[in-house]
Amino acid sequence: MNASGHHFIADKAFLAFEVAKTGLAVTMRKDEESPSAPEASRLLAAVAADRDRAAFAVLFGFYAPRVKAFLRRSGMTASAAEDVAQETMLIVWKKASYFDPARAGVSTWIFTIARNARIDRLRREGRPAAVAEAFDPSDEPDAPVSGEQAVIAAEREERVRTALGLLPREQAEILKMSFFGEETQSQIASAFGIPLGTVKSRVRLALGRLRQILDDLK
Amino acid sequence: MIKHHPSDETLFRYANGSLEPGPRIIVAVHAGGCATCASRISEFEAVGGSLMHDIEPDDMEPSALDHVMAKIEIDEAARDRLAVRPRLPRADVGIRLPQVLDDCGIGPWRWIGPGVRWSRVTLPGDDNANVMLLKVTAGRKLPEHTHTGYEYTHVLKGSFSDARGRYGPGDLDEADDDVQHQPIVDKDGECICIAALEGQMKLRGFFGRLIQPLIG
Repeated sequence: MNASGHHFIADKAFLAFEVAKTGLAVTMRKDEESPSAPEASRLLAAVAADRDRAAFAVLFGFYAPRVKAFLRRSGMTASAAEDVAQETMLIVWKKASYFDPARAGVSTWIFTIARNARIDRLRREGRPAAVAEAFDPSDEPDAPVSGEQAVIAAEREERVRTALGLLPREQAEILKMSFFGEETQSQIASAFGIPLGTVKSRVRLALGRLRQILDDLK
Repeated sequence: MIKHHPSDETLFRYANGSLEPGPRIIVAVHAGGCATCASRISEFEAVGGSLMHDIEPDDMEPSALDHVMAKIEIDEAARDRLAVRPRLPRADVGIRLPQVLDDCGIGPWRWIGPGVRWSRVTLPGDDNANVMLLKVTAGRKLPEHTHTGYEYTHVLKGSFSDARGRYGPGDLDEADDDVQHQPIVDKDGECICIAALEGQMKLRGFFGRLIQPLIG
């Protein structure tokens, strides 16, 4: 790790220490620029309504590095991940008016755009660019909204967040690793010291547990 | 009443984007008519949103924002230009297809064997996905078979049955290589399904063997 990385961690440790020492009820954030959910939603609305470049820059500053990290962990090279992350943010700009807070949170919405852009990139590989360009990744079919869905989007985001926190640590880790596809099954096996043959069933168990918690929280 | 759904693993892979394009469209067709699975997918997508929100961020190139802003300028200037996407040819297959398939190309019915016809479904920007419609006449028994990979079959019309149960409109049959079955199309009418294979070269499964002579 480079020097600035150490510095960053030291800062966070210091911040945690400060919070503990003073006993202040401070909301811990991953970093200072993290917009709250309603804030992100408002920024996106400003992009949609006023083509607000400053609002977009704030969203870019927070989300582009996270989209890139997700793409890298799912197996892309740094330069491909940079490229697709930029593409994702461009689509965020273009499709801002399609964002529906009743349907998904901003992070989830941007995640699905990044996911679709990644699928499109993989699809495009080995194909003539001119043909592939015609396909807009954001047109990837989404699961349609059902009637009840619209009302419960925010509640769902909260429930999912809570459920992930309630999962036993090892199951949460297994889900995380397999969700991002960052690790092959053999890497997961060695990380958890389990036989290769049981990785699949461990993932299945973790998913079953998540489903149970999600349903219990309903 | 939908009785057969994709597994949680499959919905999870739909949400994280690792499900291949062919099976992906089959799951999208199913979720288009199944509120339970649509909502499960939304939950798994929210898992993705949450994990991405909390991920240790990577550094973007210093010029990244400028670069995207420049693209935006170009884009805004060309805003009125209509984006034209080439329409893929669509044959009339005699039933109304789910909306999810609107951008897909649909081939004409072709004879594949006694009582069985198929039509190739092409996905926009992807010639390689093995997706097809299958039409089987009432009462026909299909040869007993196993699979070499996952096969995803969603019933659009009619029904078929095998030892595991009866599959009607809206049901999705996710058959892995453990499944050995001999589906019989129910007597009350023809059955139309949309099906996809996992793995582009895995053509040794049931549908694979059916279409192998055609794909070559």
